[in-house]
Amino acid sequence: MTGRIPVRLTVNETPYDVTVEPRRLLADVLREDCDLTGTKLGCEHGVCGSCTVLVDGEGVRSCLMFAVQCAGRDIRTVEGLTADGELHAFQEAISAEHGLQCGFCTAGFVMLVVGALQEDPTIAEDPERLDGLLASNLCRCTGYEGIRRAVLRVYGKDGTRQENGTAED
Amino acid sequence: MTGAGNYVGDLKVAGCLDAAFVRSTVAHGRLLAVDTSAAAEVDGVVGAWSAADLGDDLAFVPPFFPSAGGEDPRRCAALAVDRVRYVGEPLAVIVGTDRYVAEDGADAVRVDIDPLPALVDPGEAAASSTWLFDGVDNVATEMEFGTPIDDEVWQRAAVVVEGAYRQPRLAPTPMEPRAILAVPQPDGQLTVWVSHQAPHRLRRDLASALGLDAERIRVRVADSGGAFGTKSGTFAEYLSVVGLAVKLGRPVRWLEDRAETLSGSTHGRGQNQRVRLAADENGRMLALALEVDADVGAYPNTGFVAAETGQAAAGVYLTPNVHARIRVVVTNTTPTAPYRGAGRPEQVYAVERTVDLLARRLGMDPAELRRRNFIPPEAFPYHSPTGRVFDSGQYELALDKALELVDYTHWREEQQRRRRSGSERPLGIGLCSFTERSGLEQAPMANEWASVDVAPDGSVTARVGTCSTGQSHETVFPELVARTLGIPPGRVSLIEGDTDETAQGIGTFGSRSMQVGGAALHRAALELIEEARRRAGEPDARYADGTVITGQRSWTLAELAAASPEPLRAGGVYDTPAAFPFGTYVAVVEVDRELGNVRVLRLVAVDDCGVAVDPEIVEDQTRGGIVQGLGQALYEVMPYDDQGVPQADGLLGYLLPTIGELPPISLDTTVTPNPNTALGAKGAGEAGCIGTPPAIVNAVIDALGPQPAGTATDIGGMQLPLTPETCWLAAAGQEVAR
Repeated sequence: MTGRIPVRLTVNETPYDVTVEPRRLLADVLREDCDLTGTKLGCEHGVCGSCTVLVDGEGVRSCLMFAVQCAGRDIRTVEGLTADGELHAFQEAISAEHGLQCGFCTAGFVMLVVGALQEDPTIAEDPERLDGLLASNLCRCTGYEGIRRAVLRVYGKDGTRQENGTAED
Repeated sequence: MTGAGNYVGDLKVAGCLDAAFVRSTVAHGRLLAVDTSAAAEVDGVVGAWSAADLGDDLAFVPPFFPSAGGEDPRRCAALAVDRVRYVGEPLAVIVGTDRYVAEDGADAVRVDIDPLPALVDPGEAAASSTWLFDGVDNVATEMEFGTPIDDEVWQRAAVVVEGAYRQPRLAPTPMEPRAILAVPQPDGQLTVWVSHQAPHRLRRDLASALGLDAERIRVRVADSGGAFGTKSGTFAEYLSVVGLAVKLGRPVRWLEDRAETLSGSTHGRGQNQRVRLAADENGRMLALALEVDADVGAYPNTGFVAAETGQAAAGVYLTPNVHARIRVVVTNTTPTAPYRGAGRPEQVYAVERTVDLLARRLGMDPAELRRRNFIPPEAFPYHSPTGRVFDSGQYELALDKALELVDYTHWREEQQRRRRSGSERPLGIGLCSFTERSGLEQAPMANEWASVDVAPDGSVTARVGTCSTGQSHETVFPELVARTLGIPPGRVSLIEGDTDETAQGIGTFGSRSMQVGGAALHRAALELIEEARRRAGEPDARYADGTVITGQRSWTLAELAAASPEPLRAGGVYDTPAAFPFGTYVAVVEVDRELGNVRVLRLVAVDDCGVAVDPEIVEDQTRGGIVQGLGQALYEVMPYDDQGVPQADGLLGYLLPTIGELPPISLDTTVTPNPNTALGAKGAGEAGCIGTPPAIVNAVIDALGPQPAGTATDIGGMQLPLTPETCWLAAAGQEVAR
């Protein structure tokens, strides 16, 4: 259990060579070994979604994956959205729409939304599907309305997504 | 949002150790042995300590309000000594090179407990011959408010109704659990980073409990991932972590996990209530008696929460005879502490559910019954029979606005239509009119420290003793200071949550930040303008837009700051008494009789928090509070089995509302300025938790009715939360006492 093995993780297109115990969670390795502390741990048992990151484009709970499972896969964290110094359209929107208060769940919601809506922007057009998506994660402060408005502001029918071109990174 | 936030867990300190705790899995028992020897052998573990291992270094949790006289017989040690009193109580602390290793160490500790009978219900605990603390019974405090009501009053009244309710235990559940990092400095100073609501009090308590010099402790609140009342204490774990950092001379941090939070942190609410309400034939209230057994959990550090329930007993109603009797009782459960609302949701629930019962008894519309009994605007300041002075209120105005916003007449007609049709889901409408206390009444704490400084470059630094845990202080306080000084908000920065940077502070709780801290900043900024005029040598000059102006010339704040080596500054401690925000909430629900599901069709909230300095941020607080109130009404409860074992250890067992549970919410406000400050703000932030649960519960009871005419009791009826099982049983007409 305590043997350590070398793993190359590719996070936000940057390689990180780390040596970790197999039991170490992806979230802990991102935060402690890669110094990417934007990913938060709210429950550590896969319910709250604060630790959501993208692995090969798909939103996952990084508290439910071992880092060693992610060798050779494409990992995206919230830090990767602002790599060029500019906020992602959804980050701007969640701030403008008061979609955060304490901010602890925010990175998880951002990655959840960006991951899913990039794949399928039509989710925003169907209130039930959108609520279904956003119900994956928990926020205890906002009452969710601002988060929903932020999604619509970017990905909705008259959203800014078109003007901003792709919502890539 | 970008990942750049700095919560305690994000801070990197070289050589930092992680702490983990061994906790009791038994609710009540003799603690025979805690053997940490195997833990100390685990690779990477630096040390492991039980209370016995710590010996004289064992610290005790300072009480919230220190009591007069000798040692508290119910005091709480940082690690349990001789006896365990709740599941989750810390028994040993392990420090290791990382969290995994520390938890390995915790797993290696051997604990031997000889179980005793567990007391889970406060009523049973009060009567039990099993005592949690040797030599003292389980009633920690008894409080009375108002004077006992003569039997004659009840006998003469045209109607008397009586209800018995339970306030279940709730887990406040901020998304970030507790977190602390203690960093001893080479020069003997100690920096404590923590997610907390009251850093100055924590500093004082750490110093007194650990025998340290407060002047050498700097408490810094990093970004905080929510609090809701549960991060205001000086926790046993914090004493262990800080004490060991000092003892080892190394940085130690503790990041709580969610399972620990749910049973090892604090719970909110937890009351058994009995309410008796008498009225004349026109529905005018004559007397209200409230009896509460408040479950304070294993250690009665925060019995003051229940005092609020008693002191506010009759709420918004003009009632000549009011009496409240509160027993604060220890049980073998997680200690309770303030949770958003802290005593007010309990009081409002007890009264508002009983007012609806009275309306049914009288066959009167519940809105009309409330209207007849409100304390009228001209009666303020109103001295209540329970000894409280309410500053101002326009309760009927808020009620009217809420009824209009929800379209009350329409829903009453729809309710009748559905009752006639018989084949549709029953619909109910529930009201809740309330007032809440914001800020504090106790004179030593009815104030806040603030200062405003101007630098020679014209930048302004505002400092205040409150402490944001997600209430947008960084947005709204600079806005307020900038507006007062007539300068752009971008020129004002805010410092709070750092005991080195703020001279003193009470903190953020009880919705006090804007009302008290904001008013302090406002007054400091106004005094700064006076000081600027004095500096200009023109005490009667005009001041506008950051500039002192006379007919001949003008001085900007920057120029005045640059002109003297003396800092251009104003500040101090500013008193602000308690205030009483109020409102009316209305819920419209339908109930699926076959499945017991409650669907909230509309939720209307009309709040009056005086002058809203930033209405958008007040709305954010209201919405967040409403969703917590929704959770309280329909989903949230920390159940215990009769052995005292909590039945939820994760967020699949303790259900928080997701967006999927969000009903259509409509908000509006009335504005009754705080008469005691120039700013006019009252507290905001807790109302949603107060107004929502009674409105929903009254609506569900209304939907499942009508009860037989003249029903005078609501005992053994539905209790929070209104789960499908509870509603299904109620719909089937069965006893649902749990």
